[in-house]
Amino acid sequence: MSKPTVGIFGLTGCAGDQLVILNCEDRLMDIVALLDVRDFLMASSENDAGCQLDIALVEGAVLTRHDAERLKTIRKRSKALVALGTCAVWGGVAAMDRGRDRARLLDEVYGEGHPDYDSTPAQALHEVVKVDLNITGCPIEKEEFVAAIAALLNGDAPLAAEYPVCTECRMRENNCLLTEHGELCCGPLTAAGCAARCPELRIACVGCRGPVADANSASLMAEFEQRGFDRQDIAARLRTFAPQGVAS
Amino acid sequence: MSTIRIEHLARVEGHGGITVELDGDMIKDVRFDIFEGPRLLESLIHGKRFDEVATILSRICSICSVAHTLTSLKATENAFGIQVSPQTELLRELMFRGESIESHALHLFLLAAPDYLNYPSAIAMAADRPAPVLLGLRLKKLGNRIQETIGGRAVHPVNAVPGGFGKAPGFDDLIGLRSALIEGMGDTDAVIDLVATLPAADYCHSDTFYAALRSPNLDSYYAGDEVMVVSNGNRAIVPAADYRSLTNEKTVPHSNAKHSTFRGNPFMVGSLARLTVNPRRLTGRLAVAMKRLKFVLPADNPMDNNKAQALELINDIERALEIIERLLRDGVKDERAVPVHPRAGTGTAITEAPRGLLIHSYQYDEEGRIVAADVITPTALNAASIEQHFRRAVEQSTERDEAALGKRLQMIARAYDPCISCSVHLVRK
Repeated sequence: MSKPTVGIFGLTGCAGDQLVILNCEDRLMDIVALLDVRDFLMASSENDAGCQLDIALVEGAVLTRHDAERLKTIRKRSKALVALGTCAVWGGVAAMDRGRDRARLLDEVYGEGHPDYDSTPAQALHEVVKVDLNITGCPIEKEEFVAAIAALLNGDAPLAAEYPVCTECRMRENNCLLTEHGELCCGPLTAAGCAARCPELRIACVGCRGPVADANSASLMAEFEQRGFDRQDIAARLRTFAPQGVAS
Repeated sequence: MSTIRIEHLARVEGHGGITVELDGDMIKDVRFDIFEGPRLLESLIHGKRFDEVATILSRICSICSVAHTLTSLKATENAFGIQVSPQTELLRELMFRGESIESHALHLFLLAAPDYLNYPSAIAMAADRPAPVLLGLRLKKLGNRIQETIGGRAVHPVNAVPGGFGKAPGFDDLIGLRSALIEGMGDTDAVIDLVATLPAADYCHSDTFYAALRSPNLDSYYAGDEVMVVSNGNRAIVPAADYRSLTNEKTVPHSNAKHSTFRGNPFMVGSLARLTVNPRRLTGRLAVAMKRLKFVLPADNPMDNNKAQALELINDIERALEIIERLLRDGVKDERAVPVHPRAGTGTAITEAPRGLLIHSYQYDEEGRIVAADVITPTALNAASIEQHFRRAVEQSTERDEAALGKRLQMIARAYDPCISCSVHLVRK
């Protein structure tokens, strides 16, 4: 069997998901031996920027017209397009409050009279092109990434957790930060897969993996409110990583 | 008129390019182009509560996410007048060392070494020469293990919060880290062996200004509130509160970009700057290694930043081991973060990220919500110096072949270990 051709791309973001790939130190050599990596600018200065790809792994959000054009080109050359990380899947931190006036934000950061920047409100990949698979996380979890690649190589559909962080947190027998400590923990609404990394350290979940698919957000919002949290605060917190995740 | 253009600078974090315009032998323009999309995070965090700020601003950069997180926390704590525990200070320094080990190992062996040995990537290099790649991966893993154990995650740490940590590492965690670091010490000779045998890279010589954090104990990436700028034996001190004198954004005639200069001079930050400002680190094994690398201070070749990173890699492992020994000797307490009582005010923090000086400065309202935020990153500070060294390299070379000269300029850019996601504050068209 010939190796699948792969491209690894970063749109606008922190490059953290590509870094997680490079952080698979024990398995990196095995992974690159199983794949034919043709286009990976962060790791290689020789890339085939035009070839057809079996798999495109794309991290970052669409924040410029140039990002959007690049993404469309990547889509055209790829059989399967995988959104890698919360920015690609949900928009990520640059998408919070994305309704705010872009021109004013630019003036605030760069000063009035700045050059005309290519800057558009942050979008997740699926808002611009068809996405075949989402691997969420800020950053993605190493194990989840490796398992997804293994599944794709076997022609299987990778599995993602369809339950909230709370499930994993209870499995680790942590005290509940929300009910027992009264902290604004986003665990009930956030997609699992991180082994409750933060609550395990007594830190409230910030929702960095984006919302879980079947969260009953209306009833949970009411629950939060009953505990004395301000509705605006909760909504703002839940939208930090995923602007379209939860209705206010 | 001819133009040398590197459209996409490879093997760096983020999106950048290089442009040199020549008129015969005359240099018309030299640019380090940054075309990372503006994320406007400094503006988007207006109104966010103090306990969300580090979480959000960590996302400026993955490779330097420990530095962004901890610098953010230090700025917030300065604004509220919080003094963290000595244990917290030690654990934070340890996180910085872990990040530096990971970052330097990634840069030296997986991103920069392929240039010297004529491979397009570490992946390609591994087929013929696996040793440097495997060495880099082992050390990267060591750095990541420190970040995971103390920070809770290798990229975007979760355990560090305003006032301290969620949970301190356990005794067994530290014993495990100590074993891994002792094993890592066994790799340090190989680091120097490899870097000492890389072909010389003499593409430009230039008098350079260097700027780095001045630490009270002369070996900290985290403690200290003053920057020292050194050039030709002259020294100047800039207190944290005056950080804007380092970031006088100035329009320069050869470029439409704003540049950071100190008294009109571009300056370099990062490993080479740190060793220049704090040469007292270079004793014992490091002094011996320095001789083997033919590394002399003050350096006039920016490529020496790679040698400086190799020396720091050893120093970081030694320093991390010292911190762990001390934590084990004194015992790690299961202490909670210092309670935070927000108040209106400003706080500025300066630290050493792997790539050099990092500054976060915030203004808070009385409820502890952000009114204004300013983040100055190492690559933004280095931008003017990178262009100056491009210019020198073109001036000092008779090479005009686009590919050959282009490769040299890319190597100079890469020696700075630029992190373009970070420098987005200086974004250009």
